[in-house]
Amino acid sequence: MSSIRIFLIVVILSIMTLGIFISALHGYRSGISNAQQIFDSELADTAQLLSVVRDDYHPGDTAALETTRYVFQIWQGDTLLLRSANSPEILIAPLTGGFHDRNFNNHRWRTYSLYNESSRRWVITAERLDIRNSLAENIVLESVLPVLALLPVLAVIIWIVVGRGLAPLQRLANVLGHKRADDLSPIPLKDQPVELTRLTRAANDLLSRLQASFEREKQFTANAAHELRTPVSALKIHLHNLSEELPDGEERLQALVSVTDRMGHLIEQMLALHRTTNDQFIANFTGLDLYKLVQDVIVGEYASLEDKNQQLEFRGVNSLLRADQFALETLMQNLLNNAVKYTPQGGSILITITDSAGAIILRVEDSGPGIPGDQYESVFNRFQRIGGDQNSSSTPGCGLGLSIVRQIVELHQAQITLGKSEELGGLSVSIVFSGKRMAGPDGKNDG
Amino acid sequence: MQILLVEDDLSLAEGLQKGLGREGFTVNHVSNGAEAIHAVDINTPDIMTLDLGLPDLDGLDVLRQVRKKHPDLPVLLLTARDALEDKVAGLDMGADDYLVKPFAMQELLARLRVLERRISTTTSSEIQIGAIRLDTVTHGVLVNGSSVELSRREYMLLKALMENAGRIQTRENLESRLYSWGEEVASNAIEVHIHNLRKKLVPDFIRTVRGVGYTVKKA
Repeated sequence: MSSIRIFLIVVILSIMTLGIFISALHGYRSGISNAQQIFDSELADTAQLLSVVRDDYHPGDTAALETTRYVFQIWQGDTLLLRSANSPEILIAPLTGGFHDRNFNNHRWRTYSLYNESSRRWVITAERLDIRNSLAENIVLESVLPVLALLPVLAVIIWIVVGRGLAPLQRLANVLGHKRADDLSPIPLKDQPVELTRLTRAANDLLSRLQASFEREKQFTANAAHELRTPVSALKIHLHNLSEELPDGEERLQALVSVTDRMGHLIEQMLALHRTTNDQFIANFTGLDLYKLVQDVIVGEYASLEDKNQQLEFRGVNSLLRADQFALETLMQNLLNNAVKYTPQGGSILITITDSAGAIILRVEDSGPGIPGDQYESVFNRFQRIGGDQNSSSTPGCGLGLSIVRQIVELHQAQITLGKSEELGGLSVSIVFSGKRMAGPDGKNDG
Repeated sequence: MQILLVEDDLSLAEGLQKGLGREGFTVNHVSNGAEAIHAVDINTPDIMTLDLGLPDLDGLDVLRQVRKKHPDLPVLLLTARDALEDKVAGLDMGADDYLVKPFAMQELLARLRVLERRISTTTSSEIQIGAIRLDTVTHGVLVNGSSVELSRREYMLLKALMENAGRIQTRENLESRLYSWGEEVASNAIEVHIHNLRKKLVPDFIRTVRGVGYTVKKA
């Protein structure tokens, strides 16, 4: 993944490094050349000084110099009048005025020859080039190196500045990233740099179109399901009338009645699934008593239990928790209907609520055939029924039940586990509610 | 027994008219709210079944209007809506019962029978389930044709269960029917009454749903 920040930093740093090096190089070269001129003029000045000193030299005289950097000779005609002690006795430079580069004493020298008219003497001064060059280099480097040392400092400053420049982008990313799935409200435009306003406008436009399409879909599903309820009622009533009028009507129309029931069931499940889908679900958490809720659901669903002559037992204690009442009712209805559906005639169903220190556990067990362990996960998939479409239960169902249950469980940050009932031998479904006790995050009970 | 059926779905209305007619109800049908309010005024029915989703008026508005002049008219709401708030609002506004579509004919009949007994004309005062016959006017109870003596609370208990045959009555529910506000209720009072009642009836007539309540099987 490419990063604007790293790109900017690398490019800016490269350009700056290149610029600094070029200017340093230039400074180095002109510095050296300046230094050479200065040294040259020093050499010439020294020769000038020596030439005007009037003295009677005896040929072969030497003068001791403390430095090895310079040598000098004073010639009169072919006679070497005076030389520095470190100078050879031969002529070190041609007797033509000006600067020359010469080799002697195993070094390369810069020489200056000067002729004094009045004393008719040649004065030759020479300076060792290696020493002079290293001196010049030292001077120049001392002025150039600090600029190079500045580079890391500049890098840090550029890093910070680029970071600050990109901060609005980071903030926008955070705002978008932390949006809840159901929050399609526009991103505020204020305090945004011009460059990001266009992006934000485009994002807001997208959000509003998304919102509209969500709204349409939501309305469509809800309306369709609601609209279907009335014709299904009509169908049921007409079937009832028909079965009363026909001889053996009830028996002959049984298949039709069960298909109609199944259709009605599917509509209800679609509505429930729709209402509890994450981006539609606006949790209306209130404090409620799970015991009371389960009891109400059992009362409401009792007719189907009685039809199959099943024994139901409910053991529980009052258990207060924060939850969405409608969602929990749907959850309980689905669990109970599943148990009724998969438990044979005359079977048993046991519902328990246990409230131990940390958690409330709701468990629904039955004496049905249960579910093989390797299918525990797949039963939560939508439209999945045990045994496929040839489901042996021959009861209305659409395979949405447990997927709705799981959705509701997740909305309540609870945990669901399937297992084998120890007491009844069939399926055991346990839901563990934890942390969502009456004392909610705001510490008050609005139930 | 005259029922005013307020329902805009004509097929459903036709089916209900036919089905209820067979059960001995006289059904008048109107398909919108304005007609419903008018019909109640000129020929007040014994029971009104009211669909909440009407083309012209909101069903709850119709209910409010009707309640002004006819505070005692039993009203049963039929609706395709299911929002909890709607249900609560409907009952708050004085509806007597509430049935969500799609419903079974038997369920509608059961609810209507309860409303019918509430207005208790003598013709429909008897409930017969299996060997037990209960007369809501004379408060007499016959087991296999012979009269049994029940205490006032035992009678109320039996009536509540038989009126709601096929449905569970929770203990809390029964307590609130048997005892008025503030009256001292022993924690096992209902159990004791049920125990006594069972001895006077046929075995297994009242069934216990452990942890939930009691029920009488539908006839």
